[in-house]
Amino acid sequence: MRRTHRTQRRGRFGTSVIATVTALALSSGAWLVYEGTATRPPPQPSASQAAAPGHGRAGLTAAAPLPPSPPDRIRIPAIDVDAPLMGLGLTHQGSLDVPPSRHKNLAGWYEAGTTPGERGTAIVAGHVDNAEGPAVFYRLGGLAKGRVIEVERRDGGVALFTVDAVEVYDAKGFPDEKVYGAAARPELRVITCGGAYSKETGYQGNVVVFAHLTGAR
Amino acid sequence: MRTARKLTASAALAVTSAGLLAAPAAAANAAPVGGLEVSPSTVTPGTTVTVRTTACGADGSATGDASAVGAGTFALAPGKRPEAASGRFEVPPSAQPGTYEIVARCAGSGPDDGKQVAGDLSVTLTSTASAREEQPVPVPVHPRGHVKTGVGGALGPDPVKTAAGVAVLAVAAAGGTWLLHRRARGDRI
Repeated sequence: MRRTHRTQRRGRFGTSVIATVTALALSSGAWLVYEGTATRPPPQPSASQAAAPGHGRAGLTAAAPLPPSPPDRIRIPAIDVDAPLMGLGLTHQGSLDVPPSRHKNLAGWYEAGTTPGERGTAIVAGHVDNAEGPAVFYRLGGLAKGRVIEVERRDGGVALFTVDAVEVYDAKGFPDEKVYGAAARPELRVITCGGAYSKETGYQGNVVVFAHLTGAR
Repeated sequence: MRTARKLTASAALAVTSAGLLAAPAAAANAAPVGGLEVSPSTVTPGTTVTVRTTACGADGSATGDASAVGAGTFALAPGKRPEAASGRFEVPPSAQPGTYEIVARCAGSGPDDGKQVAGDLSVTLTSTASAREEQPVPVPVHPRGHVKTGVGGALGPDPVKTAAGVAVLAVAAAGGTWLLHRRARGDRI
């Protein structure tokens, strides 16, 4: 087999390109298959994120209530949430309805209740996942105390809430009053599915983030 | 919505008649005419409302009546501001949206004894109160129970990622085969 220098050089170059591509394909393919077949539950809050004794007040004092205005968007920079909000009603059982699950980046707020920023308890809910995979509040259980939740309001303002606690509650004996009950200051609850998971019943509870208004802009 | 309108209409009627009754009395006493100041005048159920009137004269006290909205009677005591009596009551959490008349009757031995003043209080549930009223069945103030916000789709394998991974591995296999083939041919690499 006789070759000129030029073809030899070209052959060497082609070989090293193919070797590189092969190595890259091997590692990225292995990573993709590993990620694709892994079964990992969404993050759940640790005990240290529960409400502190003494009513769970964070260091920041509450801000003055804002006038009522419907919210348009929720942002939680710490867990990369930036999603539009739709109005939610109640189901026939009296539980909070949820946004359509096919939209993975969509959350909702209970529009017959308090608007976020107003005095009282405003409620926001969104999916942790849908049939395709993780959804808007997939990482909610990993949120920590002291983090900021921003709610964009239709009046052009942004209500800033600070996280007081992140809890997980079982569907059985759900603490309705604690989660949905009236508050003397402007508060926010952000709810998604959480707790143990079983194929028959799905997620067995909810992750609930408790926050209160600490500012506005 | 219809209920609210009816309430508003009847409250307005009551205010008009109360005004007609109160006006001659005030004129006869030659005292400054004062209504009942309700603050805030638009509230959600459960809110505490402050009422103030100057109609009862200096150091005048009064008895307030908020039974229209279900809050019963309350006292108006002379406040810091001269000639003003003020008092507070809480709108019951069960109050229905609408406009209600709040009445105060002056008490004491002065010329204003028995004089009655009235003011309006609007109760709304939220800015979307009208949408809620259209529902035939009254809904509870807050939801109950847990929220069904997940199906477990994040837990199972991801077919798209897996398929992409398999495809990329196929490319790696092809590349590897070619390299081995070259080596077998005796080319230096």
